[in-house]
Amino acid sequence: MPAPPVTTVAVTSYSVHLPADERFGAAVADLPPVEPGCPADRAHTLLGRKGLLYKEPATRLALCAVHRALGLPDGVRPDTALDPRTAVVAASNLGNVATVVDVTRAVAKEGSRGVSPMAAPNASSNVIASSIALWFRLGGPNLMVCSGETAGLDALALGALLLRARRADRVLVVGAEPDDETAVAVRRGPAADPTAPPLRAGAACVVLEPVTRAAAPLATVTVGPTLSRRVPPPTRIVVGPGHLDPAAAWGDCYGAQGVLQTALAARLVAEGADSVAVLCGGDDDGWRTALLTPGRRP
Amino acid sequence: MATLIAASSLRTCLGDGAGTFAALLDGRSGVGPLRHPLTGQLNVTAGYQIDRPAPDAALRAGTWLRECVEEALTRAAIDPTRSRVVALVGTGLRELAAVEELAFTGAATAPSRLHFGPAVRDAAPGLAEVVTIANACSAGGHALALAQDLIETGEADAVVVGAADTMTASMLAMIGKVTPEPTTQVRPFDRDRTGVLLGEGAAALVLVGEDWTGPAVGRLLATGLSCDAVHETAPDVDGISRAMHDAWSRAGRDPDEVDLVVAHGTGTALNDPTECTALRRCLPRPAGPLVTAVKGAIGHLSGAAALANLDVALRCLASGTVPPVVGLANPLPEGDGLAFVRDARAHRDVTLAQVNAFGFGGVNAVTLVEAP
Repeated sequence: MPAPPVTTVAVTSYSVHLPADERFGAAVADLPPVEPGCPADRAHTLLGRKGLLYKEPATRLALCAVHRALGLPDGVRPDTALDPRTAVVAASNLGNVATVVDVTRAVAKEGSRGVSPMAAPNASSNVIASSIALWFRLGGPNLMVCSGETAGLDALALGALLLRARRADRVLVVGAEPDDETAVAVRRGPAADPTAPPLRAGAACVVLEPVTRAAAPLATVTVGPTLSRRVPPPTRIVVGPGHLDPAAAWGDCYGAQGVLQTALAARLVAEGADSVAVLCGGDDDGWRTALLTPGRRP
Repeated sequence: MATLIAASSLRTCLGDGAGTFAALLDGRSGVGPLRHPLTGQLNVTAGYQIDRPAPDAALRAGTWLRECVEEALTRAAIDPTRSRVVALVGTGLRELAAVEELAFTGAATAPSRLHFGPAVRDAAPGLAEVVTIANACSAGGHALALAQDLIETGEADAVVVGAADTMTASMLAMIGKVTPEPTTQVRPFDRDRTGVLLGEGAAALVLVGEDWTGPAVGRLLATGLSCDAVHETAPDVDGISRAMHDAWSRAGRDPDEVDLVVAHGTGTALNDPTECTALRRCLPRPAGPLVTAVKGAIGHLSGAAALANLDVALRCLASGTVPPVVGLANPLPEGDGLAFVRDARAHRDVTLAQVNAFGFGGVNAVTLVEAP
């Protein structure tokens, strides 16, 4: 059933959920200010109290970002019917590494007795994407992208692909990373780069719909291919390393960074910028660019 | 517009694709004693492991994936520097075994080695776009779906679809936690099944468009996707049925055309009855398709399971023989009316096969494939 291509993908909502800390004291010139969010251990203030007990910090932050992007009221878990036409594409590299290492330590010390079966879902790397589906009752395709520095824009590209392939009518692209001790150690690796911004916990969400279905598109978005080298984007305004760089000011959300930058770019476009490029990646995993332009159809 | 499979490559504990299929036809099981630093503490004593690299070596999944990608690209004779080639890699556990070294020795691995970008680029220099999708036990099926979308929307000339998994202590611990007695053999669809065991392996396929003039091993009709959104770990008949309906509807074909189902069949208390119920609901009876499953022979390859099933399905299409379900002696009651292949290989001209893969978090991928 080859479908005719859906021409254009629109951003119809977004959120940035960065827990408040001292780094927000430094405003970034030309970047829109971000309203700080609650930390993972206060996620119940936004999401409601029930069901969060065994959720890891990255999962909680991801749920917060989706909650805000969907414009839901504070403290209330939505009670909705299954929506089989909304997909979830999550991006995270480090979301469950603390659980993986903690479980391993516990087994080494006390055998399987030391392990709670409640941690079982967290041993699987797709726990963030599937938790979002379960929490918000989203039955469309559910993807977990773990591809390193480009993960955020990889997720955005796959979200757009799901719309073009008519696998969904709406896609929630969600990035989330934690900043626990294990996550920081894994991100640092054996050869730390002293110039790299530190890992920070945070999440962001971008809602995609075909422009033909979008009641109020904030921006249209296209994602370019991955390139092994960094190529300067063609626009005057660029969100990313070496340009308007939220990571340099607030810390780096690694696999979530591309989603976060896209959310900020959507806001810039919605507030009147002509076109904004998002540059995301690194020397390990390559570079990817997204282009956002005003959402009104000509 | 159709998508063709130009080549398929597989590694399991029973060897490469041809070796694995030959062993399956003979009804052999590759199960053996678990070799892991924490054996004895895990309540898991057996597994379906690959000998080389040795189980204590680093980044083994990437090693097998690199071999499979090299082999598939060579067979397809595709040069990633001369056409638009994208790689999508499905995995359940990534290279999290390397992260677990932090718990054992404190040694850190480069973060880019957690996913499979470096392994694929080693095998295919010039291929920049490698996206790792960590979609639990149906990851390979999800990668396959997206790869077909990339071909059919014209966004890539060829897509390398890979999948790879090895064992992690944390996942073994979870399996040990939910079994009262350690399982010695995966017994898909058996009424006396005792649970799942992990397998190790990798697979890679090369997908191309209809204008392809080279050799092909199969025609990919469609992959249907769904998420249960019902339970964190337990499967759901409605969610699985949605993926099956999605596959048939996207293919524009009728479910009574199916000759063979290569089932997910994990040998767990929950998966097997749920899968049987969904098959009985979505596929016509009584002249239903043959049903086989491979996890009794090669274990649960986690994110690589879907592509392992697909490689087996392609060999069934090509040979007209279907391997028996290794480990199945007495079918479970929910399987009444399903035509499980038992004890010996079946001879049947298979023209259209359905391949199932379901994962933790209720992520489902159902693939339909026919002979080229």
